[in-house]
Amino acid sequence: MAVTRPRVDADALADAIGLGPEELAMRKGFLEFGDDDVHRLHAMYGLTHEHVDVVIEAFYEHLMSFPETAAFFRDPRLLEHVKGRQKEYFIRLTQGDYEQEYVSDRLRLGSIHERIGLPVRSFLGMYAFYLRQIASLLLAEHPGEAERAFEAFHSLTKLLFFDIGLGVDIYIYQRERTIALQQEAIRELSTPVLTLRDRLLVLPIIGILDTSRAQKLTEGLLRSIRESRAKVVILDVTGVPAVDSAVANHLLQTVEASRLMGAQVIVTGLSSSVAQSLVTLGVDLTKLNAVGDLQGGIEVANEIMGYRIVAIDDGTPEVVDARSDSQAG
Amino acid sequence: MPVPILKQGDCLIASIQSALTDADLLDLRDELAERVGRYRSKGVIIDVTVLDVLDSFASRTLRMMAEMIRLRGAETVIVGIQPEVAFSMVQLGLSLDGVTTVLDLEEGLAHLDRSRRARVAHAGG
Repeated sequence: MAVTRPRVDADALADAIGLGPEELAMRKGFLEFGDDDVHRLHAMYGLTHEHVDVVIEAFYEHLMSFPETAAFFRDPRLLEHVKGRQKEYFIRLTQGDYEQEYVSDRLRLGSIHERIGLPVRSFLGMYAFYLRQIASLLLAEHPGEAERAFEAFHSLTKLLFFDIGLGVDIYIYQRERTIALQQEAIRELSTPVLTLRDRLLVLPIIGILDTSRAQKLTEGLLRSIRESRAKVVILDVTGVPAVDSAVANHLLQTVEASRLMGAQVIVTGLSSSVAQSLVTLGVDLTKLNAVGDLQGGIEVANEIMGYRIVAIDDGTPEVVDARSDSQAG
Repeated sequence: MPVPILKQGDCLIASIQSALTDADLLDLRDELAERVGRYRSKGVIIDVTVLDVLDSFASRTLRMMAEMIRLRGAETVIVGIQPEVAFSMVQLGLSLDGVTTVLDLEEGLAHLDRSRRARVAHAGG
């Protein structure tokens, strides 16, 4: 289902995910990211500044050599723009101050990647590429000092993992938001109460029936019963994908509440698999007047209300009120 | 406040005018059971339109009332349960099993009329 998700700015995102100063400190503590790391990263500033163009060019060459990622950067103007952003990011890694503002930047970037639909694996792959590039740069920068290069690399790894954590959080958060919005949309699928005939209502239920929706639906139905003085209500559940014991209880409540208002309820459209699961669940459905399909339900409703359908001469069926017939005769 | 009970042909109509205390309900029960015998009524309509709540005591008493009246030889119909009341009753698991409930007074009278005709037809046949 297509749901338009309103955009959320990065600061609001940080709040929504709960990324306050404490949480950030906790994350850094978990990665053992400390002041030493900040210093070592800062010491790499010259290195990143010097090589940024080469690395970023190589980075996009790499991305463009795979159809899956290349698809995102077809537009040359866009490509130039994102290259600029990646250069900023690459240098930013060694500029210190990895606090709230840095986090907001990361969230904004992650958000963009998520929105354009970049797969998480590609997102992670980009970070792996950076690590590979920087590893060789560091080794070249510190010839014969493998240990020093390794320490610097280590600090960078911590920071990048910190960033990856933020990026993945954004992916998860945005997906969850989509799911929540969709659930909301399903819940709000209106269920119209249709008047099929004087004092006969039809309620076609489509979609998942949960507690809140079942309540709204029952309230709406009861109001309609009063307004239209309904005698019979047909509850068609053909469009309900699954009926479990909770849903069955909702149906029973609706049936009972309608009875209190003086209307009989006929439930139609319980499929064979649904019937089987209900029997297996052991729900007591003796109070449920179930008829196979909507057509059958309407026929039963006609019987209850004293109507019968009679074909007039040209073969077109005509509805006759059997009660007025019997009164007349 | 006592509930006025009106006699209409062979029916009695108990028209509740305001919220009832438990004692009022019990009085109504006794009064109806007594009058059904006195007037040889065949049907009783209890109109609860004005009630905005029916608790467990009220629903139990209504069930009891209907059963007592049945034993005294008449049929009970409860009319005018509001949507909100019906909804909260099922939410609370309160039932009026075995009691006929219809939409309003008009429907209640029509229901008793059908019962009467069924009795006549039965006696005639």
